Amino acid sequence: MGKRTIIPFGPQHPVLPEPIHLDLVIEDESVLEAIPSIGFIHRGLEKLVEKNEWPEMVYVIERVCGICSFGHGWGYCKSVEGNLGAEIPPRAEYLRTVWHELSRIHSHLLWLGLLADGFGFESLFMHSWRIRETILNIFEETAGGRVIFSVCKVGGVRKDISDEKLKDIVKTLDGIRKETAELTNVFLEDVSVRSRLSGVGALTKQDAEDLCAVGPVARASGILQDVRLDGHGAYPYLDFSPCIETEGDCYARCKVRIRELFQSMDLIEEAVSKIPAGDIEIKLKGNPSGEFVARMEQPRGEAYYYSKGNGSKYLERMRVRTPTNANIPALVKTLQGCDLADVPMLVLTIDPCISCTER
Amino acid sequence: MANLKIGKMIMRSLFKKPATLMYPVIPREYKERTRGHIEVDMNACILCGICMKKCPTDAITVNREERTWSIQRMRCIQCSCCEEVCPKKCLVNESSYTTPDIIKIADTYEKPDEPNAAAGETGLKCADTCVFCGICVKKCPSDALTVDRAAKKWEVDNDKCTKCGFCVESCPKKSLSIE
Repeated sequence: MGKRTIIPFGPQHPVLPEPIHLDLVIEDESVLEAIPSIGFIHRGLEKLVEKNEWPEMVYVIERVCGICSFGHGWGYCKSVEGNLGAEIPPRAEYLRTVWHELSRIHSHLLWLGLLADGFGFESLFMHSWRIRETILNIFEETAGGRVIFSVCKVGGVRKDISDEKLKDIVKTLDGIRKETAELTNVFLEDVSVRSRLSGVGALTKQDAEDLCAVGPVARASGILQDVRLDGHGAYPYLDFSPCIETEGDCYARCKVRIRELFQSMDLIEEAVSKIPAGDIEIKLKGNPSGEFVARMEQPRGEAYYYSKGNGSKYLERMRVRTPTNANIPALVKTLQGCDLADVPMLVLTIDPCISCTER
Repeated sequence: MANLKIGKMIMRSLFKKPATLMYPVIPREYKERTRGHIEVDMNACILCGICMKKCPTDAITVNREERTWSIQRMRCIQCSCCEEVCPKKCLVNESSYTTPDIIKIADTYEKPDEPNAAAGETGLKCADTCVFCGICVKKCPSDALTVDRAAKKWEVDNDKCTKCGFCVESCPKKSLSIE
């Protein structure tokens, strides 16, 4: 029996820019236990509901995360709209869906790049981000911002996308589809990538269920769980079924995200072909006075948005539970017994977003 | 050649022009909707201060006494919230970014003097058709209005009133007017 040592991993680590700290109890080269700690990047955004009126708070909530910013804005709006009992015009719901799915493509391409960077495949990383740039340009053309959209508002959306522009988006996505297929083929077929990811950090279906894993982590372990099935936005009108894999290892998590990438492109195409004409927002009356919980399927998994109003212009409480928060127990479980060299891969494949988690 | 899955892609990019721009030698093209920076038209601005109240980051300061409107560029998050709430639509989010600086600067704009300001008798007026419903009081962002239904009295505090026109829009009897 070897000597036990504790190795600190993060909050600053070459592999990942996210400030998560892990105390790794190791014996020889294998990890016996991992003790996670966060708290390096808390910004107190939830507290700002007391200072910003609820219609303006959406611009703050969007800044919870720089990658799934649209989803956070939508989640907040959904929660306050639920509180007010508002019905959103169908065109607004379709536009939200298109933007949200574009965010998913951008997020997954970003993650693929980070993963490639994590296992030292620099050119693969660069090519992932080059393709992602096309999506960022679409964001800027339609919403005005490359990262933060500021288009979602309580009661609808602030900007319309013309039908010609929507068709242009579909054409652009068709243009990058071939290149993306070529890129993702490297992740799925390349021998060195496969040997780095296959069989590493397997999470069984039972463990994923017990530890309440969400998003691609849960889906890679064979759990049919996706909030988009619950019928919000335009998803009930689209042909959608979640991407499921059963192996539960890093390769399966990578495969789920790659399949979702192409699925998002299909969903956007379908949404554009079905988008109805009409208003993009409704006028809201009164102030929120109840409690409401909204759920969203972010690129990283399920997120909760709780809002409590007291009839005034300011919400009494706002709470966000982000997917990374739910996936940390699953991460800790997979870290037990893994090789020290596999730790960065395991942390990366849950796609951690710590600034989201701490808000 | 299982190990050269990326080979084609790399060969192609070897002979293509770079995907990046030589910024700032080659300037960046802004899109039509790009939210770059806020510009104000001081001739149209009435210094009502609604943008200041609604700004999520407290980047805007409106000083009615000195007749100035100022914005801290580093604080502004380009959310366009001020543009949306402005009653006179004198704020515009221009598509270009401001030039970078090493200090946090605040841009201050002064409102030109109005020649008719001293003439007096300008302001919010209420006609006899008023039913003292009090909707204007609720809508007023500056708390300048008071309505007493029992005494059938409608009053405006001219020092507080910014003539933003929200009450005029909301009045169900169309009794209010800005002269």
